[in-house]
Amino acid sequence: MSHQESQKLDNVNPLETRVEDVIERGDNDFLDENHDQDEHSESYQSHQAVDESDSSEDEVAPRNTIGDVPLEWYKDEKHIGYDIAGRKITKKERRDKLDSFLASADDSKNWRKIYDEYNDEEVELTKEEIKHIRRLLKGKAPHAEFDPYAPYVDWFKWDDAKHPLSNAPEPKRRFIPSKWESKKVVEYVRAIRKGLIKFDQPKEEPRFYRLWGDDSSSADRTKHLAYIPPPKPKLPGHEESYNPSLEYIPTQEEINSYQLMYEEDRPKFIPKKFTSFRSIPAYENAIKDSFERCLDLYLCPRVRKKRINIDPESLKPKLPRRKDLRPYPSTCYLEYRGHEGAVLSISVEPSGQWIASGSKDGTVRIWEVETGRCLRVWEIGEAVQLVAWNPLPELPVLAASVGADVLILNTGFGNEEEQKRVKELLHIGTPTSDDSDDMSSFLSWIQDEKYDCIRLRHYRTVSSIEWHRKGDYLSTVMPAGESRAILIHQLSKRLTQRLPFKLHGLPVSSVFHPTRSIFFVATKKNVRVYDLLKQKLIKKLETQLREVSSIAVHPAGDNLIVGSKEGKLCWFDMDLSSKPYKTLKCHPKDITKVAFHRSYPLFASCSDDCTAYIFHGMVYADLNQNPLIVPLEILRGHTSYDGRGVMDCKFHPRQPWLFTAGADSSIKLYCH
Amino acid sequence: MEIERETNEGNSRRIQVRFITKLKAPYKVPTTAIAIPSDLSRLGLSSIVNKLLQAVDSEWKTEPFDFLIDGELVRMSLEQFLLVKGISAEKILEIEYIRAVAPRKEEEPSPHDDWVSAVDGSSPRFILTGCYDSLGRIWKQAGWCTHILEGHSGAISSVRIINSEGAGSVTVATASKDRTLRLWKFDAEDSTDHPARIRAFKILRGHNASVHSIAAKTSGDMICSGSWDCTINLWRTNDTDTNGDAVSIKKRKVNNKIEESQSEGEAVSTLVGHTQCVSSVVWPQQDTIYSASWDHSVRKWDVETGKDLSDIFCGKALNCIDIGGEGLALIAAGGSDPVLRIWDPRKPGTSAPVFQFSSHSSWISACKWHNTSPLHLLSSSYDGKVMLWDLRTAWPVSIIDTHKDKVLCADWWKGDCVVSGGVDAQLRISSDISIQ
Repeated sequence: MSHQESQKLDNVNPLETRVEDVIERGDNDFLDENHDQDEHSESYQSHQAVDESDSSEDEVAPRNTIGDVPLEWYKDEKHIGYDIAGRKITKKERRDKLDSFLASADDSKNWRKIYDEYNDEEVELTKEEIKHIRRLLKGKAPHAEFDPYAPYVDWFKWDDAKHPLSNAPEPKRRFIPSKWESKKVVEYVRAIRKGLIKFDQPKEEPRFYRLWGDDSSSADRTKHLAYIPPPKPKLPGHEESYNPSLEYIPTQEEINSYQLMYEEDRPKFIPKKFTSFRSIPAYENAIKDSFERCLDLYLCPRVRKKRINIDPESLKPKLPRRKDLRPYPSTCYLEYRGHEGAVLSISVEPSGQWIASGSKDGTVRIWEVETGRCLRVWEIGEAVQLVAWNPLPELPVLAASVGADVLILNTGFGNEEEQKRVKELLHIGTPTSDDSDDMSSFLSWIQDEKYDCIRLRHYRTVSSIEWHRKGDYLSTVMPAGESRAILIHQLSKRLTQRLPFKLHGLPVSSVFHPTRSIFFVATKKNVRVYDLLKQKLIKKLETQLREVSSIAVHPAGDNLIVGSKEGKLCWFDMDLSSKPYKTLKCHPKDITKVAFHRSYPLFASCSDDCTAYIFHGMVYADLNQNPLIVPLEILRGHTSYDGRGVMDCKFHPRQPWLFTAGADSSIKLYCH
Repeated sequence: MEIERETNEGNSRRIQVRFITKLKAPYKVPTTAIAIPSDLSRLGLSSIVNKLLQAVDSEWKTEPFDFLIDGELVRMSLEQFLLVKGISAEKILEIEYIRAVAPRKEEEPSPHDDWVSAVDGSSPRFILTGCYDSLGRIWKQAGWCTHILEGHSGAISSVRIINSEGAGSVTVATASKDRTLRLWKFDAEDSTDHPARIRAFKILRGHNASVHSIAAKTSGDMICSGSWDCTINLWRTNDTDTNGDAVSIKKRKVNNKIEESQSEGEAVSTLVGHTQCVSSVVWPQQDTIYSASWDHSVRKWDVETGKDLSDIFCGKALNCIDIGGEGLALIAAGGSDPVLRIWDPRKPGTSAPVFQFSSHSSWISACKWHNTSPLHLLSSSYDGKVMLWDLRTAWPVSIIDTHKDKVLCADWWKGDCVVSGGVDAQLRISSDISIQ
């Protein structure tokens, strides 16, 4: 009950000050003795009254009909809300101050009357209620029967608990008001007086308000749910007017032509002119249209599209400009003509003065790089697949592969001393004697009298020749050679060893590490890296390509590029992972060869699509920095012959120039 | 007056000009000012001057002229030229005319057996050529070979006349891809119908790779050579007698007629510094050598100390170099791109070329300054053209397009001819080029 009462008091809360006034007044003057006189009887009565009022309160609905809206909205109106029949409920006549004063003088009970603004009525407080208020004002419990000083019952059983948490008496300081707090308060008071602390200004009430709320921005709606406003229906235009301008009204011919159109294309609405509003007929599609609109509204899923505004240019990787990466080969200035068949392979002499080429017409030629002069021709008679110049400048010999044979030719360069050495090297006195060696059935070293050279006769077609950097070892790859697919020949001792590793897949190409005793073998699917000294596999690089066609090692030895038959180029950083660091899809046709430049940060790939691509491939000494790869130039100029384009490309060892050998029987030099 | 009538018909603007010249009598025109249309270019101006000359001398044969305004050759219409140069058209314009620098005559080609790789025309009495068939040849005139220099075992890459002053005996040097240089002596005056075969009197060995270029000291007692082994060697040219003991080996070879002695020589000193093939050397002054190399640099060497004094970096592999211009100060060089560059080492602070001539379309194989004129030079290129340049304009003053393939070498001869040899195995002589 007390709970309900306090609730009621809460309701009247805004009026509290006034009640206080009244009570103060009552205290002061005439009601004092009255109050004292019938204290007991009244207390009884009030109990009754409270009971009654309580029950009546449950039944009586609030008289207010305007709902929970601010009362100021009706401040200037004569009425407040509407009754059930729709009539205005007029406000009670506001009595002026004089009248109310007179009334209070007349009516001895007037002091306990309060005006309830919300329900627009006067409420007379009962004696009991006044008593409650009075007790509350004194800071006592509202009910008289509540005893705040009831004797303390110690519910805690002390029998077993020998060690209470704390049995110490409350310290004195708990009962003394804090000195520091009072100092602080004084400080605040001073600050307020001086105006150092400013309080928030009372909020200014907006003068105008939206009667129907804010529906357009739906700002607070979007706060809660993902509210998507329905699409707005098309608004009627001029042609839907009852009296449209003449240009909107179709002529009879146009109306006839509508008949010829398809059902879907026909206009739904034909503008018409009416002389007056009265003559407009009912719109026959009204119900259908609104029904469809309703269907649209609740059946069509509305999805919020997330559109990201990103400049597509900003998604491109930031690459340095080509101009800053010069020099690189870009223009073809020289052409080496003389071959009558596709040039299958080229090789540049280590000093860069000469270039050797092998062609399908069965010749090996040596050209002067500077002028394009053909210096020497060997007529081998069979298509020369590969040529490779010995990397030692003082050992000017050339290895050329013809079918299953590898010829080691004396180019005739170098001074007399070097020539003497070369001649000794290339002379085999007697055919290799140790026939017991199982190698001899697969490979033989033969003196070739015709060209005065060594002929290494393999038992399968050789697909790749690669010299070791010291110029003494030569590796050859026979894809069909099974366990003897890769052989390493030693020129000075005329020895041949096979690679003591099991290969998985057909070998395609092999290459020596430029500085260490490491050997790379490219099979069709992946690249295997062997240590020749420790005789073990170090690494296996997975190319994820269909078929590897060529391989080249960066001169520092830690990076590798692999070209594939589907036109993809993979860059491997061997410190990084066994997966390609970058795969470049650039050629539409097979890549025939890839090459690194010895000193410039350049690499190239050439392809059967008659182009060669030049890339900038910078490898940093800093291990944290990944290699920078920038495509630089597409070199064109070769023509397609027999479906083949550029067969080989090699960089000049000292200049940023690229040689390309084409199936169109020409060799081109691209300079910077 | 005819001209005026002609120009009256046209509606173009007219300019008052006065033609002046430093040429001698038959080329002089009256120096009165005349009005000519402003849209005339060199050809129009040339025909005006020719008409004026014809008015003086009815026998006058038409002659091409070139025109200079404020020291600049006119290569566009007058109006444009004045606009570009910001010259007022109100005043009377003084146009100087010179005889156009262009070959007026093409001599018969002199056939060789193989590519002509080197030519030297520094002696007015003969032309010396080197050929890929390892023979050197002396040509008295077009088509008349007087001597054949026989002895190299590889293609000749460079030839140089050392001294041609002596009345009878002439010394020349050849460099070859067989890593040797040879010195030859012959009498330039004896001329027979059948070319005489001569053998070298001295073989200079010492390079480890093919020799690319020779240059001779102006006094003629030393030569230098640049080679693929990245070095420049200096050699003495005097006869064996002076230091024959030191050089020891003497070979005696029995020829058909005469017994000749061949001595061998060793390099006096070696200039090391280039990192790639030294493709061209010149020795313009007593103690400085300039060299161009494939390592993209031009170096100036002091002969006495063997140190390089200055470097110019070009960015392209260089094939040829020559020193010329006013006071032998300008360095012209061409190489693995179609641009002929001219540097002025006196210009402080910058190594950028002062002139760049880029009308060629392929590598430049040779460049030579004119002997006497400081303004003219020629260049030959793999695009088959020899171009004559005048420093006063950026366009070639003349293009000789007689070769069918790459031109490998070119030189001036007698001051008014251009000799050039190339892959078509012909020595071409374009003569009658008037350079004052």
